[in-house]
Amino acid sequence: MGRRVLLRSSWLPYLLIAPALAVLLALSIYPLIYSITVSLQVGEAWGFGNFTRLASDNFFLTAMAHTFVYAAAALTCEFLLGLGLALLLNGQIRGRGLFRATLLVPMMLPPVVAAVVWRLMLNPNFGAVNGTLKQIGIDTESLTWTASPGLAMLSVIAVDVWQWTPFVFLVLLAGLQAIPQEPYEAALIDGSNRWQTFRHVTLPLLKPAILIVLLLRTMDLLRVFDQIFILTEGGPGFATETISLYIYRTAFRFFDFGYAAAMSFVLLALTNVISVVYIRFLKHETRIS
Amino acid sequence: MRLKIILMLLLLLGVVTMSCSKDQQQQSSQKRLTLVAISGVEGDALKAAALDYKAQTGIEIEITQFPYANLFEKEMIDLNARTGAYDLIMLDDPWFPTFASKQFLTELTPLLHKRGQNGPDNDFVDTSIALCRHPYQTGSLYALPYVGNSQLFFYRKDLFEKHNLKPPATWDDVLAAAKTIQEKESDSGMYGYVMRAAQGNAAVADFMPIFWAFGGEMFDASGKPTVNSPEGIAALEFMVQMGKYSPPGYPSFNAQEVGAHLLQGTAAMAINWPVWITQFDDPSKSKVIGKIEFTTLPSGRKQGQAEIGNWLIAIPRASQNAEAAMDFLVWATTAEQMKRSALRGNPPTRKSLFRDPELVAKFPAYPAQMRSLKTSRPRPRTPQWNEIENVFGIFLSKANSGVLSPVEAMNQANAEIEKIVQRGQ
Repeated sequence: MGRRVLLRSSWLPYLLIAPALAVLLALSIYPLIYSITVSLQVGEAWGFGNFTRLASDNFFLTAMAHTFVYAAAALTCEFLLGLGLALLLNGQIRGRGLFRATLLVPMMLPPVVAAVVWRLMLNPNFGAVNGTLKQIGIDTESLTWTASPGLAMLSVIAVDVWQWTPFVFLVLLAGLQAIPQEPYEAALIDGSNRWQTFRHVTLPLLKPAILIVLLLRTMDLLRVFDQIFILTEGGPGFATETISLYIYRTAFRFFDFGYAAAMSFVLLALTNVISVVYIRFLKHETRIS
Repeated sequence: MRLKIILMLLLLLGVVTMSCSKDQQQQSSQKRLTLVAISGVEGDALKAAALDYKAQTGIEIEITQFPYANLFEKEMIDLNARTGAYDLIMLDDPWFPTFASKQFLTELTPLLHKRGQNGPDNDFVDTSIALCRHPYQTGSLYALPYVGNSQLFFYRKDLFEKHNLKPPATWDDVLAAAKTIQEKESDSGMYGYVMRAAQGNAAVADFMPIFWAFGGEMFDASGKPTVNSPEGIAALEFMVQMGKYSPPGYPSFNAQEVGAHLLQGTAAMAINWPVWITQFDDPSKSKVIGKIEFTTLPSGRKQGQAEIGNWLIAIPRASQNAEAAMDFLVWATTAEQMKRSALRGNPPTRKSLFRDPELVAKFPAYPAQMRSLKTSRPRPRTPQWNEIENVFGIFLSKANSGVLSPVEAMNQANAEIEKIVQRGQ
């Protein structure tokens, strides 16, 4: 009798996990392995040709640089703004509920919809942005936003900041609310000023939330596709082409899946390295110094 | 144990139902064809034709439509996997060399022979039927032309008359007219010209007629790229010069923006596709009813030539219903059916229809369209065209947005195109 129970308890968990595992194998693991084999083929021949080609491909290197500029700038703005807003709305201010709800609206929009709306607003001739600027007497002749090589990158970054700062804000606010009152009371008794309290109490205790939000945003930013595809399609020229757009073009326009797979693996490797660095950097044991 | 038995039974049930549904599909496929088409007016006409076909023959045609941005990849994935999911595909002519050279399409001549025809009839416009052969013009037939688009030159007749300008016959005329109109009409926010120079297809489409008229050629006889020839550089310099008379932001414009500026009456000239013509007479969209004239592309050192952009229909080699698909394809491209498509807004590919009195009365631009189509030129017929066009468009856009000088842009474009060509060999 006892043996039967033991037997049952040993195969039941596996049986229950099996369907999920099967789906994962079929939809994630198998394609992953398959794409490795694809990346190692140039035409019929096997080899590292796709990977060596990366080094001499100006478009790939430029797209990579764009991706990192885009990710770094957007992440910095989103984090600083999100943190500021979270601190502001964590306190007791009038209409706090209303502000919190309003701030979440951009995040609710599907990125494609947000991008289409921004594309219309940023249209240099008929758009709301230049229309408003003209009303207040600013010369908009040279402000062609997504059409100008200088402003296009700024425009796509601004749209991402507009849309995703609320997410950063939300996570950090939740993190702030989870911090207990006691450390603050202790700091008050020790006579620390506001900055000292923020630096030595709030920030360390907020670290887990910061880690999560930075990690999620970085991964998202490095593989950004939809907003840029709709706002500029990588243009003008090549000014806002990020690596995801270039991979998409290579795979589905030029039908060079091997090369596209090779680029995807490079992106995957870089994303992994960055994630590990983050975790190392921020995952010291949380303590109040 | 009981659980195991139940699981086995469930699995068995699943297998049985799956095989049943497969049988049903196979049975019904004899009376049913599948077709993938572009969304918008070109595909809609084909959809309407498919309903007529069902009413006449009882054969149902299931149509899936995709927007232009996705159609190529959907077709390519299906053709590459040889699923046979589609019996007929509607394709843009620059994709044809890729599909044909990869042996994705059914050769149509044997199917025509079975029907007692020697080949496609002579009523098809020569430049259109030439696109359907691989190699170009001389090879085997793999498609039939359905929509006979080729670029046209649009200009504001009223403004040309007002300022005593003669109709633009050369690119020098265009430049002079753009300058005059923009100077004299500046109060009304009028631009002399509007073009599109967004990277990719847009910039290349607006550049090719200038490039060809200036005597440029993309490749020499041996297949080496020659876009940075003196003629090519002069053509790009001219395009950038025309940019001074185009609305700000044009290096990111696509056909939509060009159409919008013409409809709003804020630009005096443009190159565009015939699909826009009917919109100029639509009071809900147009502020320029009756004011736009259509003509062939201006000349330079050489006779002006439009870029051809026909929609073709082909039968994938993996189709299980090639003969039934051919029946529909021949039916849909008969003069009688193509006339119905023309009435639904698609330029035909048959000479007789361009001269059809009823159609000419409804579409006054037909004589100009026919002249444009007959003298039109295809984009270079290479399976690598998508990649080459992408790179070429990037550098054209860079020159127009002022990041590179025309000389630098053409030199870099040439080097990158050469890389692509070499990789393909």
